[in-house]
Amino acid sequence: MLSKRQFLQAAGLTVANQLGAIAAQPSDAKRKVIIVTFGGGVRYAETFSKDGLRNIPRLAELQPAGHFFRDCRNLGVLSHFNSTASILTGQWQRVDDFGFQPPASPTIFESFRSQRRVSPAETWAICTNKSFASIAPNTNVVLPKQLLLEAVKDVVSKGGELGVADRSNVQRRLETILQEGCEGVGWTIFKGGRQLDKKVRDTLTHALVEYIHGPEAPTSGDELTFFITREVMREFAPQLILVNFWDMDVAHWGSYSLYLQAVTRTDRLVGMLWDEVRENSAYKDKTTVLVLPELGRDGDINAANGFLNHRSGDASCRNMWMLALGAGVDKGETEGPIAHVDIAATAAKLLGVKFDAAGKPIPEIV
Amino acid sequence: MISPVLQALIDKGLFDRIPATFSTFFFDQIKDYESLFPAERNYFERLFTLIDKLPKDEFDELFVPLRRAEVTMGVNEKNWPRRTFTLDQVDFLNRNPHYPAWRAEIAKLFSRLDPVLEEDVRRRGRPRVSVVLSPSDLPVGPDRLWTKLQGRRVPLTEPLDPAKHIVPLLSAGTPAPYDRWLIQASSDIAAPPGVVSLGYDALAAYRQRLMSDVQQTVEKEQIRGPRELGARLKQMKLLTSEGALARDPALAEFTRAVLLAGNGTLLINNTFVEWAAVQAVRRARPSCVVSSFGIRNKMKPFSSLLIYADQDKSNVIPTQVDTLGTYVDLEMFYLYIWQEFEKYAEYVRNTVHVFAAAAMDEILVIAPRDFTTPAKLDPAALAPKLQEWMLW
Repeated sequence: MLSKRQFLQAAGLTVANQLGAIAAQPSDAKRKVIIVTFGGGVRYAETFSKDGLRNIPRLAELQPAGHFFRDCRNLGVLSHFNSTASILTGQWQRVDDFGFQPPASPTIFESFRSQRRVSPAETWAICTNKSFASIAPNTNVVLPKQLLLEAVKDVVSKGGELGVADRSNVQRRLETILQEGCEGVGWTIFKGGRQLDKKVRDTLTHALVEYIHGPEAPTSGDELTFFITREVMREFAPQLILVNFWDMDVAHWGSYSLYLQAVTRTDRLVGMLWDEVRENSAYKDKTTVLVLPELGRDGDINAANGFLNHRSGDASCRNMWMLALGAGVDKGETEGPIAHVDIAATAAKLLGVKFDAAGKPIPEIV
Repeated sequence: MISPVLQALIDKGLFDRIPATFSTFFFDQIKDYESLFPAERNYFERLFTLIDKLPKDEFDELFVPLRRAEVTMGVNEKNWPRRTFTLDQVDFLNRNPHYPAWRAEIAKLFSRLDPVLEEDVRRRGRPRVSVVLSPSDLPVGPDRLWTKLQGRRVPLTEPLDPAKHIVPLLSAGTPAPYDRWLIQASSDIAAPPGVVSLGYDALAAYRQRLMSDVQQTVEKEQIRGPRELGARLKQMKLLTSEGALARDPALAEFTRAVLLAGNGTLLINNTFVEWAAVQAVRRARPSCVVSSFGIRNKMKPFSSLLIYADQDKSNVIPTQVDTLGTYVDLEMFYLYIWQEFEKYAEYVRNTVHVFAAAAMDEILVIAPRDFTTPAKLDPAALAPKLQEWMLW
């Protein structure tokens, strides 16, 4: 017996018309949705608490312009893959956390593509975490950090006088890996003919150049994630995007200062992403951006060594926030709880997609 | 070899009477008896003797709710064999939708057992001391150190010199096995005989080999998941050529576990010091711990990508120290170390905590009321004062 996912995958676009017929029609067919996760996990203490606001100046500045949900809960497995998979499927996921299994139920990406009969270029998951290769079947999945890692490892292994300090050398390796075929670094790019292939490669190459020669000399995986997201937005203007930032998982190394730096970097990148949404005519006034942590981290008063881990299941791990920005969002704040499984249900409603979720669309957004 | 007390309890079937999720975990813990510290052995003996002596109605009252939770979770002989505990079971718990309810039952169970066990510990209580040392290069003065802690700030008549003012404490009298620990980022302090000495710098050869082995295992051996990785990591034991601790099974395993805990203990000197101190307190319950932090280096460009690579070899950019980052890191670690002591009955209300920094003329003291200090303390009097507190 086929699962719902297998059915959708097997049927692919050939059944899109039939599914589309039973789907709710969108109020705005051009509506776009971008889900941005603070992947790796971040606590309230370092973000929207009184003392944490200093670490997220851009989000703090944007908060009054959007709708802030003070209590957004992750009631599922406190691991990275399952947390993000729950956000994307609207069902609490309990699959292998190392990416050896896809989510157990269809993601919003799959339902959107199947029902709305959109081209492969309309759905992208741009994720820093390498285990996310299988997070969104039937979707373009790009793992920028993995590409960067391969390039840097190669530069280091080949020696050379300047090593990774020679950024042009890093760029050459990045481009070579792209030329050789990005499947080798865990990416999935759906081919829509030679033209799309070339366009994808050109788009990604342009992002790499921007990254390598950026004025701030970026070096982290998340910064490359941002540059690739921006180029994808400019070239393909997809309707549905997941952007998974990840640098803050450096907290596992046990350096609070590096963790705070990563939180602030993610805040800056989310701000830049929002700037792109406002300045890009394909997105301006028609895009809803949902920003949320994929999970928290253990509280300071905890047996599991505080911010280093996310295994205790305490409130610091599970209770987070969400900031909704952009089209259709009522400004304001909601104290009462929402949950991670509400996110896909909300995105589905915004995109006019019929979707089977444990959560419900969030009224303040849809 | 397991202690006669525990072996007798196993032989009479105690571990088969108690719920599987509880008994299997502890059975696994006591399996490597040689690698347990005396405090751990003593705890397991007391815990299971207490459970064994419970009248039937109290035994049932204690364990029936957990057994019900296990049934709801679907625990059975197949997915939970009684004498084998692996990461598969951890995974089973974590991914089970009834995990929070199971966890609540475990917490309830220990809220009944712990007070009885702790009362016993309290009756045999004795003075304890923790000294946490910071390096002299931090970019702040004492007014901005230890801000997450509440204690008495005590000015010193002259700047503190750890070798001169703290080491004498460690060398006083005759230490009991595993009762005094020196954990340091550098090798600046020489450990007196009988003191357990763990040093990030001193373990450089072992660390380098572990980094290389872990990298090789992860990248070349196509490891699939944490269970397989965990089994491989278990084999990466400390060699005698890499450290004298290798000769002691408990300390060799402790060192391996600390370095391969999955946190940054292999990579960052101060994470090693913090985690080793926390683990020493949690497991060995020593009466004296000196934890000495150092300065962390700045992360070089792209270094977060090359976790297990030697940063000095992979990047020509000169290594720089990160004094400000170290300061921010340590403010959190001071709190975590102090908290760890305060979690256990052995330390509550009888431990003097001294937070000090090299070349600084002020210390922070958190101590019971009967540990008094003058308004201004001669640092040369600090070790004798602590010795007096410890009755050494």
